Amino acid sequence: MISSYAVGIYPRSEELIEATRKIAKNLPSLYLKEKKEYIAIQKKAKLGYVCDPLLDWDDMFRPFSKLKSVNLEALNRIYETNTFYRRLSFDGPLNDVGNIIKSNLVVSLLPKNRAVCVPDPYTFADVHFSRKYKKNEFPKAIAKMLRKEINNLVRSGFQLIQLVAPSIAYNPKVDFGLLHEALNIITRGLKAKTILHLYFGDVSDKIESLLELPVSGLGFDTTSTSISSIKKHSFAGKLLAVGLINSYNTKLEDKEESISKLNSVISTTKPDETFVTTNFDLQYLPKDFAVRKILRLGAIARGVKSE
Amino acid sequence: MSKYFPTQEIGSLKKPSWLLNVVKNPDVSKKDKVKARNEAALLNIKTLEDIGLDIVYDGEVRRVEMYEEPVRYVKGFEFAGRVRSWDNKYYNKARVTGQIGYKENFHEEEFEFIKENAKRDIKVPVTGAYTLADWSYNEYYKSKGDLVMALAKKVVRPLVQDLVKQGAKIIQIDEPAATTHPSEMEIFRESINESVKGVNSKIVVHACFSGNDYEALAPQMPEIRAQQYTLEFANRDTWNLGVNDKERKGYHVLKLFKEYGFKGEIGIGVTDVHVDKIETPQLIRDRIIYSSKALGDPSKIYVNPDCGLRTRTRSVAFEKLKAMVEGAKMARVAIST
Repeated sequence: MISSYAVGIYPRSEELIEATRKIAKNLPSLYLKEKKEYIAIQKKAKLGYVCDPLLDWDDMFRPFSKLKSVNLEALNRIYETNTFYRRLSFDGPLNDVGNIIKSNLVVSLLPKNRAVCVPDPYTFADVHFSRKYKKNEFPKAIAKMLRKEINNLVRSGFQLIQLVAPSIAYNPKVDFGLLHEALNIITRGLKAKTILHLYFGDVSDKIESLLELPVSGLGFDTTSTSISSIKKHSFAGKLLAVGLINSYNTKLEDKEESISKLNSVISTTKPDETFVTTNFDLQYLPKDFAVRKILRLGAIARGVKSE
Repeated sequence: MSKYFPTQEIGSLKKPSWLLNVVKNPDVSKKDKVKARNEAALLNIKTLEDIGLDIVYDGEVRRVEMYEEPVRYVKGFEFAGRVRSWDNKYYNKARVTGQIGYKENFHEEEFEFIKENAKRDIKVPVTGAYTLADWSYNEYYKSKGDLVMALAKKVVRPLVQDLVKQGAKIIQIDEPAATTHPSEMEIFRESINESVKGVNSKIVVHACFSGNDYEALAPQMPEIRAQQYTLEFANRDTWNLGVNDKERKGYHVLKLFKEYGFKGEIGIGVTDVHVDKIETPQLIRDRIIYSSKALGDPSKIYVNPDCGLRTRTRSVAFEKLKAMVEGAKMARVAIST
């Protein structure tokens, strides 16, 4: 058995979708009810780490729009998907940070083995903009802001932080020097596992550079970066998260085939610890399919040989 | 068209609330729902004609939405449920679980009604194969390319052929997903070419803007069997008057189309469909004049909103269209003097 998790934004049920459209009076209680259901499903699947399903997050960055110096801007496409997020402009000092993410989670419902996802600073700066910070300063300013957020999360018992990094995967060119500096701000002395999760682009040619970054490990979307590419590298001293469950297709992964792939990648790359996970947020699926995927994820993790 | 800068819309308008109340009411008879849809279609056609558009449709008032409507009538699809577009906006996404197949001309009744009632030229919007594939879960075909080609050959082509038999002279293939995956532009090109193979009508392709400013589309345009592209420009342009590069930054890419050898028509989006602010006719005039110069031939310029106006209230949409018609008139005067 290996560990597993499925962090990110989960899909809302039909009932919840309708309630959000009508701004129903019972919306807060519906959110809570559905969050409890999803947490129960993760536990039933025996996932190694359990997360808040972020049902009340309109996109991965929206909670930060509550900061005084941040303004909501136009809708933008999330990379090549048919889903959109709102760009944010960071127009002043980031003084009121530290509790934005935590205050948007139901920490009290989570078990001790809790995980959370946070945008990586390079991606965050790439998909938003600032009228205050220069381009090369902006990722580091974001990193400082996120460090305060993550410190609070770690104090609240979060053991695993997935740093979601689609821009590093999607953009052909990445300033690894700047990325290294920004990640260092986040991870230096941090007492939690940090996994930089790469999706929406093939990172086969970047893995060597990615392995040098100051994070505990790397995570991959295996629909864009093939297992065979990952297997070319040693993950000794690193954690490896294999995003085998496809959140962009309803087709359920074959359990035995997935277990075989994981056994093979573990024996070749020899990571310190391996996780199986989704390739990205489950919100790209309707709820029924997402639930099936979570249960399958747990079954696959339990079927893999112990390291 | 005999005059410069013919005006047209892209397709969708917000449905009137009274229509939604009727069609969603389970106590209203099927006959009365049909009557309500006809009334709404007639209202849209006449309103668009009164505003002065040269090419019209019915605001797609009978269609649920551009993806869900065709998928309902195509073999091989099963709806999976709703997924988010943004915030609390969702669309019903389908799985492809079997071989794709065409059942019937699902726009027949709609087009027949418009043909009988419209006095202006008619452009029929049809959702394209690439977008249908891109917005679906493919559980059946080996690759996305295989699914796109199956949809092009087995659904879009027979549909377009049936509409042409019925009398359609202009078909607009709606492809909002066209440029969202720059590495798949060859699949997109072949999907259009397969969709219109043997079709004897004017083909217009509508593609939304997706971040690469149509740079991925430009090299393919001369190779695609379409006479016209209706594209988004206004949402990246400034609101300042003027016909210079600085003011008209949203339209620079037209020069690139010319450089790649595209010789067809462009329906230039002159109206931002994401904001309520109404463009002035003078601003629209300047956008048209700049585009004429950039493309090098005013006879190749058609004028339309960036995209369908269904995200705006009906009153805002109609005000925007009125300004557009007025701006086109001003541009005609400007280039003739």
